[in-house]
Amino acid sequence: MSDKTAKAPENAAGQPTGRSRWRLTRRGFLIGAGIVAGGVALGYTYGVPWVRLQVAGVFDGAEGPPGSFPKEPWAWFEVLPDSRIRLYLMKVEMGQGVHTALAQVAAEELGIGWSDLDVAQASTERDMGDSLMTSGSSSVTGVFEPLLAAAATFRSMLAGEAASLLGVSADQVVVAGRSFADSADASRSVDFYTVATSRAEWEVPQEAAPLKRWQEYSVIGQSLPRVDIPAKVTGQAIYGMDARMEGMKYGAVVRPPTLVALPKSFQAGQAGEVEGVIQVVIADDFAGVVAESRAAAQAAVARIDATWEEGHRWQQAELEQLVTVGESDGVVIQEVGDVSRWLGDGATLTAEYRTPLAVHTPLEAQAALADVQPDRVRVWCSTQGQGFVRGQVAKAIGVDEKIVEILPTYVGGGYGRKAGWEVAIEAARLSQAAGVPVHVGWTRAEEMRYGYFRPLTHHLLSGRVEKDGTLVAIEHRQASGDVAFDFLPPFMSAVMGADFGAYRGATIRYDVPNKRTVAYRRDMPLRTGWWRALGLLPNSFAVESFVDELAHAAGMDPLVFRLRNLGDEGDSGRLKRVLQAAAELGEWDKPAPSGRARGIAATIDVGTPVAMVAEVSVDAGSGKVRVHKIAAAMDCGLVVNPDGAIAQVEGNVMWGVGSALIEELVVEDGQIVATNFDRYPLLTIQDAPEVAVVLVDSGDGKPRGVGEPPLGPVVPAIANAIFALTGQRIRQLPMNEARVKAALA
Amino acid sequence: MNLRINGTDYTVADGSGRLLVYTLRDELGLTGTKIGCAAGFCGSCTVMVEGVARRACLTPLAEVEGKAITTIEGLAGRAEDGSVLLHPVQQAFVDAQVPQCGWCMSGQIMTAAAYLSQNPTPTEEELVAAMAENYCRCGCYHRIRRAVVAAASQSAQVDSKGAV
Repeated sequence: MSDKTAKAPENAAGQPTGRSRWRLTRRGFLIGAGIVAGGVALGYTYGVPWVRLQVAGVFDGAEGPPGSFPKEPWAWFEVLPDSRIRLYLMKVEMGQGVHTALAQVAAEELGIGWSDLDVAQASTERDMGDSLMTSGSSSVTGVFEPLLAAAATFRSMLAGEAASLLGVSADQVVVAGRSFADSADASRSVDFYTVATSRAEWEVPQEAAPLKRWQEYSVIGQSLPRVDIPAKVTGQAIYGMDARMEGMKYGAVVRPPTLVALPKSFQAGQAGEVEGVIQVVIADDFAGVVAESRAAAQAAVARIDATWEEGHRWQQAELEQLVTVGESDGVVIQEVGDVSRWLGDGATLTAEYRTPLAVHTPLEAQAALADVQPDRVRVWCSTQGQGFVRGQVAKAIGVDEKIVEILPTYVGGGYGRKAGWEVAIEAARLSQAAGVPVHVGWTRAEEMRYGYFRPLTHHLLSGRVEKDGTLVAIEHRQASGDVAFDFLPPFMSAVMGADFGAYRGATIRYDVPNKRTVAYRRDMPLRTGWWRALGLLPNSFAVESFVDELAHAAGMDPLVFRLRNLGDEGDSGRLKRVLQAAAELGEWDKPAPSGRARGIAATIDVGTPVAMVAEVSVDAGSGKVRVHKIAAAMDCGLVVNPDGAIAQVEGNVMWGVGSALIEELVVEDGQIVATNFDRYPLLTIQDAPEVAVVLVDSGDGKPRGVGEPPLGPVVPAIANAIFALTGQRIRQLPMNEARVKAALA
Repeated sequence: MNLRINGTDYTVADGSGRLLVYTLRDELGLTGTKIGCAAGFCGSCTVMVEGVARRACLTPLAEVEGKAITTIEGLAGRAEDGSVLLHPVQQAFVDAQVPQCGWCMSGQIMTAAAYLSQNPTPTEEELVAAMAENYCRCGCYHRIRRAVVAAASQSAQVDSKGAV
């Protein structure tokens, strides 16, 4: 099976081909409803505080809005002339294996051979519903049922037509390779392409074809090899940074000198004199260059005369002061019992946690190729949100969205950062001005400084525990810069008050009779936004470290303590089971090797509980923490591709270890200090832990999110292990050499 | 000037100060070699020059003129029937299902292939040290280790056969 996206842009992957004979005779309904819209409508009726609590309940830990998907099979499928069936996907492949997993879902109900199915990335020209976003660990969970239904219906329509071509009853045809055959006489068959092209019009059955029971699945549940890997080990996979077309030129854009600088004026200056410059583009809010080479474009941009209103020169300490929990401006997002009765003077412990600014810095920087023609605009780009990119590009260059086509390529690292649209707009504006196709590929310095970031966070926790280890009350108050609001209509922030992205993972999931979570929104002087699992990492670090503190305060084993405060039903029971499974895999009941200790943590995110045991050592001289092993247990329900799910756990572990020990983006004199990896190093293979993963299936036949939930327990498991080893509780990230050394001194 | 890449001669404009990574990607369309940091930190642009790993982002054309350059596009061989025969390192990366986003993988594979050609019987520690300057932001390190160890054990077998 090959993935045709690798051939973009020349073959215009994702466009319906002229050969397609499918025609609509009846509009299918778009299925799925937006949770966001429903919640907001209620808010105005029942009052803001009430709805904030309800909406918070929907967003924290639950699955996100499913979006809408096409019901018409021909939106999803095309029969190729060689009778392979091509599956078009609106979800982009950024390494999470979604093209493979969704192909497995389709193959399950199509009932055809794995090698007879082909996967292609849909462009925005293809009518694939409203879910043109790949985020929130929702690709498999959201697409699963609509795709099963579409595949089953497609197969039944083709089989019915094949039966009439063969002159037999529909239940007498069987799939034989790329054909339907007469089950009574295998020599009589008709290939898929002949069937598909035999009619000009098709009637979609009013009722979807019956689906298999999940216990009968044979393709779903197999660790089939990823469809995108062959292209990725041979250099054939095409990403936004690789998009090329005839006559294309290269663009670069002027950047502001400080975090908050506003342009006063741009003038071409000496930019036009650089050899290879084709056009210097000057607008009120934008200045850039189109040139024959990237080097020329970048050299010329440096010569544009720009003046700025530089604004306040922010310092690191000011940002930390800014992002601090306040007294009265919080939004209650969880309220059970009455914490005020038990906390305050009655608290066993209070603690304060902080996490720093961080940057995604995907190794493929932001990149897009735009070809702006008067009647047609095409943009090839590395994006998680082609639907948003289309609207934003149309608005930026003043054209009707209908003439704009976004063609997503492979994504060279997303993690939330490729949900932006800046680079597509830059390429489109330059292409429109110069009248040629323009490729813009950000430099590493641009990637470090001019995107959006993981916000700083601050957490105040207070808890009461009885001597027997029973949790009585926990309160979590957290302050954070925005995560989701910058990408949503302004009314959302007005209604919700606190950013659901920032408080993701903030609520207390233990069975405590009194618990309360309050979120404080902090407006930061730089863009903060989408991040892998949104607020899950900072919030889990604070909450699961603090729960560990309460366990130690009660003098109990941290695993026994957690199990004691979780019931057996629902999510509590599922959390309990992953804790037990991780403890077993991580040899919790055995002593750690000499010089090492273990820590445990568990979280639940988008309905997927994950627990981890980390085994660490600390070099007392340097303060360097070494994470030797992570043992992980995850209950993501029905697993489509177990090896793919395990790979996501491994990747999240590495992301978490880097965030725990190294990553910190520092601001000085109004600007981010880092321009490259020398000042923002990443985890390397030498510091990467061994990872063992066990998948626990709660057995209800329902798939759950995988791409982000495993990020939850990584950081607190490490922090808890450091405490177990050293007796020192590190409450600020990163737990780097200087900080750990200072704690041990 | 003339560049010999994957056994093919390419004529490119004079300008010996230009960097190999941009010539490969932007002038010749060989986009299999990736660009990550343009400063030698991340390893995404690693190619082989006369069999030795080099960062294409730090390599002026003048240094490689007339030398044998191998990129990811030229690493695999051809079987007798004309089908693609993956290099043992590439095959090991497929077998271990290593890549996620894949952007760093050309560099990872070229680094490992170059290292194993110099040292076919490394210890695991040596191998990991050899891979330590190639970042993977998706965090495929666990599988990269598994794959390079597997590729090394295969190259050791080939080496011992060669010695016989």
